[in-house]
Amino acid sequence: MLENFVLEKDHLLPLLRKLGRQYRLVAPVRNRHGDTLFTEIHDLDRVEIDLEHQPQSSLKPFFFPQVEVLSMYGLDHDTSSGATWYSFYPQLPENRPTVYFGVRSCDMMAVMYTDMIFLQSSEYDVYYARHRENAIFITIGCNQPFSNCFCNATRSGPFLEHGFDIQLTDIGDRFFVETGRARGVQLRRQWAYFFRDATEDDRRAQFQAALEARGLFNRLVHVDLVTRILARQEEPEAIFAELSARCQDCGGCAYICPTCTCFTIHDQALDEDRGERLRTWDACTFSGFTRMAGGHNPVDPDRQRVRKRFLHKLLHDVEHHGRTSCMGCGRCVDMCFGGVDILRFIEMVSENETEHEETP
Amino acid sequence: MILDPSRYVAPGMAGPQGSKPVRGNIYLPVPAQVREVHRENDLVTTFVLEFDDPLVNQEFSFEPGQFMMVSMPHCGEAPISFSSPPGRGGGFALTVRRAGRLTSAMHRLRPGDTIGVRGPYGRPFPMTELAGSSLLFVAGGIGLAPLRSVIDFCLDHRSDYGEITLLYGCRTPADICFADDLERWSRAGVRCLCTVDEADDSWSGRVGLVTELLQDVQVEADSWRALVCGPGIMIHFVLSRLLEMGLPRDHLFTTLERHMKCGVGICGHCFLEEKLICREGPVFSLAELDDTRNL
Ligand SMILES: Cc1cc2nc3c(=O)[nH]c(=O)nc-3n(C[C@H](O)[C@H](O)[C@H](O)COP(=O)(O)OP(=O)(O)OC[C@H]3O[C@@H](n4cnc5c(N)ncnc54)[C@H](O)[C@@H]3O)c2cc1C
Ligand code: SF4
Ligand code: SF4
Repeated sequence: MLENFVLEKDHLLPLLRKLGRQYRLVAPVRNRHGDTLFTEIHDLDRVEIDLEHQPQSSLKPFFFPQVEVLSMYGLDHDTSSGATWYSFYPQLPENRPTVYFGVRSCDMMAVMYTDMIFLQSSEYDVYYARHRENAIFITIGCNQPFSNCFCNATRSGPFLEHGFDIQLTDIGDRFFVETGRARGVQLRRQWAYFFRDATEDDRRAQFQAALEARGLFNRLVHVDLVTRILARQEEPEAIFAELSARCQDCGGCAYICPTCTCFTIHDQALDEDRGERLRTWDACTFSGFTRMAGGHNPVDPDRQRVRKRFLHKLLHDVEHHGRTSCMGCGRCVDMCFGGVDILRFIEMVSENETEHEETP
Repeated sequence: MILDPSRYVAPGMAGPQGSKPVRGNIYLPVPAQVREVHRENDLVTTFVLEFDDPLVNQEFSFEPGQFMMVSMPHCGEAPISFSSPPGRGGGFALTVRRAGRLTSAMHRLRPGDTIGVRGPYGRPFPMTELAGSSLLFVAGGIGLAPLRSVIDFCLDHRSDYGEITLLYGCRTPADICFADDLERWSRAGVRCLCTVDEADDSWSGRVGLVTELLQDVQVEADSWRALVCGPGIMIHFVLSRLLEMGLPRDHLFTTLERHMKCGVGICGHCFLEEKLICREGPVFSLAELDDTRNL
């Protein structure tokens, strides 16, 4: 059973200070440009933790950096035989115990999804594992969803039932505190003096906030309808073609998306005999993503370049894992200047369907 | 070198298909040394490789149809199928067509050089399920490489398989690979029929597409299985023709090619609809493929 507590708002900073001494602390910080980004905090008194705006970035780069060195390689030449000796030296990332504070439900769900991709496939990704191993998540439910949010339709928010270590709900002058996974329970116990037990009033206030939030979504997005339409295997070819034509091949949607995990592996020479093997984010919308030596490309970039991204999230992952891998965070909506976002796609497919139903 | 020894993890080889690999580093290539280099033709070369570590050599096993991710200095990695059969000791063979950066660099390798490899990866041909059947192999160009591993495996276990027929098509006589093997197989009782799209003065054999060779073979739906590998378009036409000839979909096997980076089902490149070729394939039965038009 979840245990419930209360953290007074003026206890938050002292708690974070304590945590900051023992852990690396990462939270949404509003910078001087007005951007809210998950940032490593070195000095709590010199940054503004921002729980008012949706963080523009997700946690993805902390576990799966945009560029990561997998290994170094070197060549040694045997001058007598002329043969070349080629060896690899892995570069594993540091494993730093970290508290991620102020994580939204959609982003927490996204971490659970990427865990499945990197850790639970038949192969185990040690790089991701290193980043991920000692992470503690303090999430915050969204009393007021943001303008592009549709996590209600993807069942990944605005509040969580599980997955968090600690979930906070803003109930006025205090946070309602739920402890979830073991690390959250331990953390709450370790700093028990910051918390008090929740009363019936606190519980009622939390229930009220969570209930009201569900009615505050700006957008009505028919995710379930669209997953059903796609499952019928009727290809919305014209919609793919229209959206593909507007895609400018920038990869922004995939980079900003907390659940897009495609990458490429390539070498960066440092000099003639040494180099780095790198892993870098990639995007299935790039025309080079599937192009093979000789030029054959099984995906037609003109008509299909966005197809895999949408089908992966709304059809293939439903088949493989039983749920969409779009978490409804809405980030790709603001990202794309061509309007080629998943919301647009969902709207086009569902409108298409209703039009069909209306024509006798 | 910019090295931190405390971060060093011993290279872990991936386990056989289906088994949970040791939690080593799946991205870390291990060195393998080039023992022999055989030029098949101007564009294609076969390399016989062995691991530097004799213990790894002894432990290493693979199955026909699987592949390795090959590293070359400054060139990243590329998937290459085994072209030799497992179980013979003495390393393994990869046959490589010069197609781009990495494969061109491989063509400059000499005996004694090292390359990086990791694997084996992918679902192999179902050799146990195929036992008891007669086998029709249809290959185009370099597509014979993975099938060579199967044919030699069958010859090593001759009594397990029935008749063996190979239909082999190349663009020109100069594109033919494994000429010595074709002779060796014929001597061993494999019926080998070859054709080229465009003949030259050196060629006295058949001219035409490999699908035309299918007119010369009789296959029983019950007792025959067909294994097809080559360019996507060739696979499509051969499989369609074999279906017309009455072979059921689950008797037809092919191995597919896609742009590939990790080889272990994470990087996302090698998708075919909902499947990832590296993990669910590269070998598929036609019963598992809805549509072969866009291979
Ligand atoms: C399962 C499998 C088995 C294969 N077996 C063989 C074989 O036995 N012999 C052989 O000659 N070729 C084989 N190929 C094709 C071979 O992998 C490509 O020709 C090779 O990747 C081209 O690399 P490149 O650097 O020379 O070309 P570039 O065009 O410079 O390619 C750059 C990178 O893109 C990727 N890439 C490009 N084309 C392909 C492709 N066709 N398939 C996969 N990745 C690609 C690779 O990561 C490659 O390093 C196989 C492909 C697959 C998927
Ligand atoms: S999508 Fe849901 S959980 Fe994410 S920020 Fe918006 S309301 Fe919060
Ligand atoms: S597809 Fe768009 S809305 Fe869905 S999780 Fe990714 S960025 Fe967020």
